[in-house]
Amino acid sequence: MPAILEVSNLTKTYDNDVHAVKGISFSVNRGEVFGILGPNGAGKTTTLEMIEGLRPISSGEVILDGIKTAEQPYQVKQRIGIQLQASAFFQNLKLTELLEMFANLYGSTVNPVELLAEVGLSDKAGALVKNLSGGQKQRFSIATTLVNKPVMVFLDEPTTGLDPQARRNLWQLIAQIKNRGTTVILTTHYMEEAKFLCDRVAIMDDGKIVALDTPEELIKQLLGRGFKPHVEVPPATLEDVFIDLTGKTLRD
Amino acid sequence: MNQNTRSFLALTKASMKMYYRNKGAIIFSLLIPVALLSIFGFLSKGGGNSIKISLTNHGTSEVSKQFAEKLKSIRAFKVVELTEEEADIELGKGMLDLEVIVPENFGAIENGKPGSSSIRTKFNNAKPQSGQIANLVIIEMVSDIDRKLTDSPAVLDVKSEGVTTNNLGYFDFILPGILSMTIMQLGIFGVAFSFVALKASGALRRIQATPVHPIYFVFAQASVRLLVTLAVASVLIVFGTYLFNFHMMGNYFNFAIICVVGILIFLGIGFAIAGWAKDETQVAPVANLIQLPMLLLSGIFFPRDGFPSWLKSITDYFPLTYVSHALRKIANEGLTLVDLPVDLIGMGVWLVLVYVLAVSVFRWE
Repeated sequence: MPAILEVSNLTKTYDNDVHAVKGISFSVNRGEVFGILGPNGAGKTTTLEMIEGLRPISSGEVILDGIKTAEQPYQVKQRIGIQLQASAFFQNLKLTELLEMFANLYGSTVNPVELLAEVGLSDKAGALVKNLSGGQKQRFSIATTLVNKPVMVFLDEPTTGLDPQARRNLWQLIAQIKNRGTTVILTTHYMEEAKFLCDRVAIMDDGKIVALDTPEELIKQLLGRGFKPHVEVPPATLEDVFIDLTGKTLRD
Repeated sequence: MNQNTRSFLALTKASMKMYYRNKGAIIFSLLIPVALLSIFGFLSKGGGNSIKISLTNHGTSEVSKQFAEKLKSIRAFKVVELTEEEADIELGKGMLDLEVIVPENFGAIENGKPGSSSIRTKFNNAKPQSGQIANLVIIEMVSDIDRKLTDSPAVLDVKSEGVTTNNLGYFDFILPGILSMTIMQLGIFGVAFSFVALKASGALRRIQATPVHPIYFVFAQASVRLLVTLAVASVLIVFGTYLFNFHMMGNYFNFAIICVVGILIFLGIGFAIAGWAKDETQVAPVANLIQLPMLLLSGIFFPRDGFPSWLKSITDYFPLTYVSHALRKIANEGLTLVDLPVDLIGMGVWLVLVYVLAVSVFRWE
């Protein structure tokens, strides 16, 4: 599979000598879901924002779909869809109006009703963002990243703060985007999410990538190093109990 | 269509919808100036219109008698006969706008010819508007009498009759003031708070994630604000004209140009504050610090002539002073842009200054 994104020696250094990202390199293949895992402050968001052209690159190179982000950030933004960690939209605008506005900003046209149906918000077409639940907001936010039919979608912690039902629902939406052939790069704190969604994951800590492989391979490597879990892994988790009792139906 | 134009139009449309669906903003922008204007309108209707003049007539001639009668017959004047000493005291208390002293030999015939003499007037410096208007009328009357006495053709008779300043009252003075105040507040407060909210919430950041440079969003917001402010200005003028008999002596085109330049200056100040500030809490003190002194010291509610000279010199350079002065000169005295070079230069300098400042302090996040 050819790479759609090539990141080499990417560095972010702030004026106060803080090294947020310390020379990382990786590539993302066309059509895969690539996850970046890591604790808060590991440099995940900074990395994404440099790739997206939202934050200046201190050193290193990013080539996305054949374009150097540092040289043509607007060309890059034209081809990708970006969901920011804290998604906020103009107040007093209906969902359909916002989607139309975003489509215009890319010089693209969109059928807002169809797009809302794709993310499961058909009945919310005339609603305002402030009247949506957390999960609905995230699904709408993902819809706004699709108005330009992007080659790659960036999702920064898309499921943080959602209840288990909304989270699983969002997983389906992300899988759906992948099935259309769109490359997805996402950050998350949830390991089961990364395992479920991601073809490959990079684990970041302190501005560096400490591991990069498929989830299965990473687990195999760990076990190969003689790792034994501290407690016996139960055949079911508390989350399984929760989902079994409350069902998978979306609550918002 | 060019992509930048398309983006600009899409953002303008969105900004327009954001604005008119925000009921609070509409009330803030329209109801408050209209209410304020009404208060002044009703206050000035209560007899405040007449210009108070004292007459001290030492003259004995027929001409001086005629002069006194003619003065009393002018409807806009309230004439009381006082001695000069009494009149001085009243003028000092601010109860009079103009003192008129007719000398003993006024209009008297000396050696078969009309002798020369002059009427003295004193006006209240704190109320120069009404004092000067009355003064003009009296000069007009005296030259009229002069012409009759010396038998030269009274060509200026018609002009003398038609001194339209007769009805000019406090309301005519206050309307351009309230208009400039509204322009300032909609520019500074309206923009600074709403724009910084978009910045703090992350909505502006979301625009930056698209291929559009966020400056187009600033242009879109500015266009909407310009249109809204012009609409509010029109409402104030129509309202003032039909309900409180506002007199426009100049032309509306000149008036509108000053309004537009004024709006652009204050929008620039608003964007500079919003661009610099991180959130709403930083906007309030700075916006107040800038607008309060202008509100009180730019002469929008009362003339600045009573200020100590150092304060007057400082306030001369306030942007609101230029705007309100120019609007007032056009509305009250019928001046045109050509007659107002100082105001125009002042506004031009502020316009450049404000945008240079806005660009240099702007932070997108």
